[in-house]
Amino acid sequence: MRPRIAIFSLTSCEGCSLAILELEDQLLSILDAVEIVNFREGMTERSWDIDIGFVDGAVSTPEDKREVEHFRECCTKLVAIGACACLGGLNTLKNYQDEDEYRAYVYGDCAKYFPTTPAQPISAVVNVDHELPGCPMVKEEFLKFVTFALAGRTFKLPEDPVCVECKKKGILCLYEKGIICLGPITRGGCNAICPSYGAKCEGCRGIVAEDALKAAGVNLREQYDVDLADVLADVRMFGAYQEKTLP
Amino acid sequence: MLDRVLSRKRLLELVDELAHARRIVGPVKQNDHYFYEPVDRADRLDLDFSYCVYGPKAFLLPPTQTLFRFKQHAGTFETTPEHNDEPLGIIGVHPCDVNAIRLLDHAFANTHPDEHYLTRRRQTFIVGIDCPGPCTEGVFCGDMHGNEATTGFDVMCYPLSRDDTGGDVRYGVVFGTDAGREFILYAQAGDPPSVEDERAFERYQIEKQAAFPQQIPYGVDTLPDLLERSYDSLLWQATARRCYSCGSCNLSCPTCYCFNMFDEQELALGTGERKREWDGCQLRSFAEVAGGHNFREAPASRLRHRIYRKAKWVKEREGIAGCVGCARCDRACTAKISSVEIYNQLAEER
Ligand code: SF4
Ligand code: SF4
Ligand code: SF4
Ligand code: SF4
Repeated sequence: MRPRIAIFSLTSCEGCSLAILELEDQLLSILDAVEIVNFREGMTERSWDIDIGFVDGAVSTPEDKREVEHFRECCTKLVAIGACACLGGLNTLKNYQDEDEYRAYVYGDCAKYFPTTPAQPISAVVNVDHELPGCPMVKEEFLKFVTFALAGRTFKLPEDPVCVECKKKGILCLYEKGIICLGPITRGGCNAICPSYGAKCEGCRGIVAEDALKAAGVNLREQYDVDLADVLADVRMFGAYQEKTLP
Repeated sequence: MLDRVLSRKRLLELVDELAHARRIVGPVKQNDHYFYEPVDRADRLDLDFSYCVYGPKAFLLPPTQTLFRFKQHAGTFETTPEHNDEPLGIIGVHPCDVNAIRLLDHAFANTHPDEHYLTRRRQTFIVGIDCPGPCTEGVFCGDMHGNEATTGFDVMCYPLSRDDTGGDVRYGVVFGTDAGREFILYAQAGDPPSVEDERAFERYQIEKQAAFPQQIPYGVDTLPDLLERSYDSLLWQATARRCYSCGSCNLSCPTCYCFNMFDEQELALGTGERKREWDGCQLRSFAEVAGGHNFREAPASRLRHRIYRKAKWVKEREGIAGCVGCARCDRACTAKISSVEIYNQLAEER
């Protein structure tokens, strides 16, 4: 029996769901191996009898909360995909702003018809079996997850930071150019895509371990002449919900 | 004793000849830094390079490498090993990296011969370029004796003199292997060394000795004992509180040879590949074993492990130093943790 798969979106750009469609070369073999039964981006029929449900987007409205609770009931396994679903993502930036102001900014005069809540990762609302973080989700990691699920193997996220991938690719570390990069504290698995293009890592796959965040606090205070508030703003971009203030 | 003297121009001509039979890799400048890169013509190489950000290890032990492919069908299981035997020429290897390769050679040939490494290595031709002085600040190759290579290369070129107007360099050449001898002599390249050349080489050696400042005042020979007595030092914890466990020190080190293995399956599940990838003892899951137990859970125990490997254990086990003093670990560390500093601080604690 092919596993029955669903792909859902909450508050997000739905880029992670689209990333699945971008797996063009493998899409047909995925469709051979699984049965997609519910996918707004890709089909019209719907079923609610689901083995694995993938969810992108943060819980950012009362409606999101109801939906994700429903997904949880319908799916044997629930998998958060992308920074929004895993970490709250960019949506959590609003948690640091005045609610009336941002609602007026986004919805204008209609603000009163659109209740919102502080943005949360879905794990804050329901039990999540797996997380595939990243902005967008790393599509190769999605493929690996599906392959592991089919083979009955235990899937584990990489526990090494982004720096490992820079070294494997042999690229020059951005610190050599005086740029503070979040790579040492960020979960790898993205193939160091940002540093590969000369852009600092902004932490979209989340903080890899609490001790790394602690080390960052010490290093930035003692070893670097930087404004901690700037670095914290970078950490907050994707990591606001997991923010444990720098020690 | 020199075997030959040769101009750089002639050397590069020989490399162009070599390129007919081998893939050529050597130092190429990118902005302000040098990297080992494949080139199609010898004149793309910059043999005046200071140091390459990473050593040439990736060409012998690739960051990720397929060991064998597997196929499952009708109750049978088939494996096909994968070996890369493409002839390779690494041109412009400084003594530290030659010595690092010597250690890899030993580690991969000793106890469990590793055909994946050894096949590549057998097909690799190495042209060394000696360093008359430190390539950059902070290197401690002089202390570690990493700055002198006596074996591990096919030919080693000592830049004896430089013609500042034309930019050509006169190399004193030492053959390390028969292949190296043939490389120069079949082409009848260069000249036999004259008495003056030998004198110039002696002067070169003396000036070189003086050019490398001592970075470890107590001497590297004291390190194994020092470490033996420093197992419980508070320094490990004090330093490791800055450590990200990012592994940059390991993965930029030319002597680190640890790897991890994993299987990559196709979606159809019947076929796949067993691969290996670089691993490093500073990474969190390095010492995690089945059942989830991690026998080096604390960053301090991982830092201590690395330093012990570099200055004590590898030497005891392989008979070749585990560190060549290139300071790539120190430069790669965004927490500015320095192994030289650790050695010196431990010595001062005592
Ligand atoms: S560029 Fe960033 S991710 Fe890459 S090695 Fe440097 S700090 Fe780590
Ligand atoms: S431990 Fe550091 S100095 Fe020693 S060989 Fe490795 S990178 Fe070079
Ligand atoms: S570390 Fe020493 S041997 Fe290596 S390139 Fe620099 S000066 Fe030469
Ligand atoms: S490079 Fe520095 S921070 Fe990273 S693991 Fe090594 S010692 Fe720790």
